[in-house]
Amino acid sequence: MDSAVDNTITRQLYEIIPKKELNSWESEELLECLTELSQPQQGLLLQQLSVIWPVSHSLCLAFLDAVRPALACLDEKQFAEWVRGILGRYEAHGLQEARRFMADLDSHFICTLKGQSGLLLTDVKTRLSLYLRGVAGRPFELEKATLPGTDTATIFLPQDISIFSENDENFLVYKFLASLQWAFIRVDLYCHEMDDEDALFKALDRSAVKNRHSEIFLHRFSGTFTQPQLAMTIYHFLQTFRALSFLQKRLPGLMADSQTYFQRVVEDFPVKKENSFLAAEYSFLLEQLGKNLPLELPPGPFRQNCNSSSWRSSPSQIFLDTARVYEEVYRETSGPCIAPAPFFQGSFQVEEAHVRRLARRKEVEQQFIEALSIRILPSIAKKKEEHGDQQSAQADQPQQPDSGANLTLRLPSQQDEEKEKEPGHDQVVRHIRLDDEKIGLDIKLQELSREIMDDLGNMPQLYLDSAEKMAAGSSYEPNMITEEQGGAPLNGASLYDEWDFRRQGFRHNWCHLLEKEIQPSGGTFISTALNEHRGVIKQLKRQFEQMRSHHRFIGRQRDGDDIDLDALTEALADQQAGLPPSERLFIRQLRDQRDIAALFLVDMSSSTEGWVGKAIKESLLVMAEAMESLGDRYAIYGFSGMRRTRSEVFRVKKMEEPYNDTVQGRIAALGPKDYTRMGPPIRHFSNILSEMEARVRLLIILTDGKPEDYDDYKGEYAIEDTRHALIEAKIKGIHPFCITIDHEAQDYISHLFGEVNYLFIDDVKKLPRRMPDMYRILTT
Amino acid sequence: MHGKRIEEHFIDKEPYYREQGQELTIALAAYEHKIPLLLKGPTGSGKSRFMQYLAWKLKRPLVTVSCHDDLSTSDLVGRYLIRGGETVWMDGPLTLAVRHGGICYLDEIVEARKDTTVVIHPLADDRRELPIEKKGEILTATDQFMLALSYNPGYQSVVKDLKPSTRQRFIALELAYPGPDIEAEIVQHEAKISREEAEKLVRLAEMTRSLEDAGLQEGASTRLLIHAGTLINSGIAPRQACKVTISETLSDDHELVAAIDEMISSLYT
Repeated sequence: MDSAVDNTITRQLYEIIPKKELNSWESEELLECLTELSQPQQGLLLQQLSVIWPVSHSLCLAFLDAVRPALACLDEKQFAEWVRGILGRYEAHGLQEARRFMADLDSHFICTLKGQSGLLLTDVKTRLSLYLRGVAGRPFELEKATLPGTDTATIFLPQDISIFSENDENFLVYKFLASLQWAFIRVDLYCHEMDDEDALFKALDRSAVKNRHSEIFLHRFSGTFTQPQLAMTIYHFLQTFRALSFLQKRLPGLMADSQTYFQRVVEDFPVKKENSFLAAEYSFLLEQLGKNLPLELPPGPFRQNCNSSSWRSSPSQIFLDTARVYEEVYRETSGPCIAPAPFFQGSFQVEEAHVRRLARRKEVEQQFIEALSIRILPSIAKKKEEHGDQQSAQADQPQQPDSGANLTLRLPSQQDEEKEKEPGHDQVVRHIRLDDEKIGLDIKLQELSREIMDDLGNMPQLYLDSAEKMAAGSSYEPNMITEEQGGAPLNGASLYDEWDFRRQGFRHNWCHLLEKEIQPSGGTFISTALNEHRGVIKQLKRQFEQMRSHHRFIGRQRDGDDIDLDALTEALADQQAGLPPSERLFIRQLRDQRDIAALFLVDMSSSTEGWVGKAIKESLLVMAEAMESLGDRYAIYGFSGMRRTRSEVFRVKKMEEPYNDTVQGRIAALGPKDYTRMGPPIRHFSNILSEMEARVRLLIILTDGKPEDYDDYKGEYAIEDTRHALIEAKIKGIHPFCITIDHEAQDYISHLFGEVNYLFIDDVKKLPRRMPDMYRILTT
Repeated sequence: MHGKRIEEHFIDKEPYYREQGQELTIALAAYEHKIPLLLKGPTGSGKSRFMQYLAWKLKRPLVTVSCHDDLSTSDLVGRYLIRGGETVWMDGPLTLAVRHGGICYLDEIVEARKDTTVVIHPLADDRRELPIEKKGEILTATDQFMLALSYNPGYQSVVKDLKPSTRQRFIALELAYPGPDIEAEIVQHEAKISREEAEKLVRLAEMTRSLEDAGLQEGASTRLLIHAGTLINSGIAPRQACKVTISETLSDDHELVAAIDEMISSLYT
């Protein structure tokens, strides 16, 4: 190698990576690596090093270790792509994942380039979670993880699946993996309690007693074995068998569709290691699955020792069977080498599931207490008041500060409950008693109570006491807030729930919304805008006039609301004259009435400053001018705000208010304010619109981007809440329609607004023309 | 406009109805004591079928009116028609039932405008009278007359809710979807499919019903299951049958339809 070239390379390298950052053997290794490459490759590498080094030094060194095969087979563009992939992994999952990615050049990258990009969990999450919700009858969260698994509340799935070249098939794998994890929950893989635990341990008759005091049942169980790991592996295998059999019965279509996948797993499964424990057993299961045959236990220790038919009726049987299989395996080879399980079986994390269960218990407790306290608040307040009256009537004693404390909240008496228990159903609390008052619980509270009873077996009095205390401690004001997050609550504010997609439920009375006046502003905006758009306005006025409703009666009908006297006279005359009389003798009101109420809701977040804001104002003006010739009822409001305690809507024009100079002035005064929390204004105006008598109720929302607020109202949470608010509006019989102004169409838009319910405008100048057009199309 | 004669409203053949609870006993008691009936329940849960069965049981004619927002009082009470130069009074369906002691069943009553529905008020209390304004006549119902309304509390808007003054005149029966066993029995009978197939359809219905919080307005009704079963019975592949009768009818939302399709393909091979 020419030493001059060598020197240039060295110099270039040290320009990117200062020499002092490297120890001597590292720089030697680096240089060695570089000098062995061809010149273009060196250039390529140095270029990418300058990208990676600032991100992470250790990543850079790991990169150099792995770079050679990549340089050998990728061209310049692909190489850059590969580096981007590495950095992506590193940033999302850390060094380990990036290393794995680099090491597995073939499957991770070459396949991608061949067009087999695989299917990402993020792309199928919505469909998958809806599917799972339907199948399981309750919501689950879906999360990314290396191995599939569950902690009984979340289902973990790999972040992408590229087993097949077709994404439909990859989706099926996702579907199967998710269904299997649900099945694991159904067969109680993470069994947390055993009713007759003592009897079970007696029957097991084992001397080793480790973990006797662990709070997790599975630990207490596995602690009775010399090799707890082996016992748990056997148990997991049996539960996998059970879950798969359950799926075969419950979702036969899924299992038939997954046949190809099982065949693929069989091919990849290492049967070669014949002598390792479970290799033959897994192969046996996979082959049955691949042929979609009803599952049978594999021959050998499993078939001899297990009685799978009684697992359902007797919960401890599977543990007894596990012990029997363990005995046999352990007797033959103490400490067998265990074959790796197929990927789909996933992880088996007893502690995580336990921790999650406890966390969920806490969460449910919190939610229940909070919701219940809100439910009983009015009654408590009433009782307090009565109590207070009594006291002051009796004497002039100073009033006790906490006069509600002597109330008791309790479950209905045993007798009541007996009556309300549905035969064969889960336990659920439908009523509670506050002293002598019976208070019904809403669906959400019932659901929570069901979860609590499922988990704990009863409803702890402590929960009720806490709820009562919480309710008694807070003053009953409509704008009460439980958790101050900054921003003073506004008097006269309306309270709105907010949808939390993570818990698949509402945060009750979460947002405070205030309606405000907007001061009309003078200036030349209006006259300039009217002048500028006068052509469009004139044209629109003519168009809109033709859409006006016609209240008219038409005569000479075969039937109708009343007799058409003219026609009747004529007919009688005809008859007299010996002519056949007409039978069209009725008048009927023609119902081509436009009974439409529209509400325009305008985004006033700070991002609308400048051109967008101006275009929105101009469009409102044009729209209002056109609406005047149409005669539909309409209102205009702006919205903005900051944090959940201060959602604001600004009134430009009320529904019945005439369009005049004041309204024009208010349009001119619309200006950028704070953030875009879309849920509360949508809910607010849905309520207002739903109370209007109109055949068609339109809620037209104008915005320039995705919903976002100063607090945690952003991203998926904000999108899901807004989507939910729109769905609520639809259920109330309102047609929401969104006009969104953005540079390019975002992926989330169709999810957020629904495929047919939005209009995307990339050039804000088109808005004054497109908005009335859209309105015309929507309402005719 | 040619109305049917009252004789044509009798139901000769016993309609299939599987009782869920006490609804028949209660309805018969209501009839005996001349108290009108309000049936609540989701779409396709058997409200209309129940009325047919009740009418058959009581051997009274059943006059059904499907309400809509253009329904006028004349459409219910009747109007003058002119035939061959003479005016002829034509009873509307409500008058027909009142006059001949039939059962008048106003299906989806909240769809009708409020000014239309007030006409039933004097009929629904102990006066049992129907004023026929155009004829200047007040018709008193015979003992055999019964008024029944139905509505779906699930999806209608607040505006379309029944007024308390209307609803408080009625005995209300809730006809929700039956339990899984009964529902399977109904689907099996109506679609003439095997018990196993029927149970599978019911399972699918339950899956869709648990999507109600997730954006679906209503889950699959018993009626949809019967449609699906009928198609399966006539030899259409189950996946296809369920897709056309269930997933595509329940929603237009792309993601929801896809999710329901996945449920279908999980259940059916």
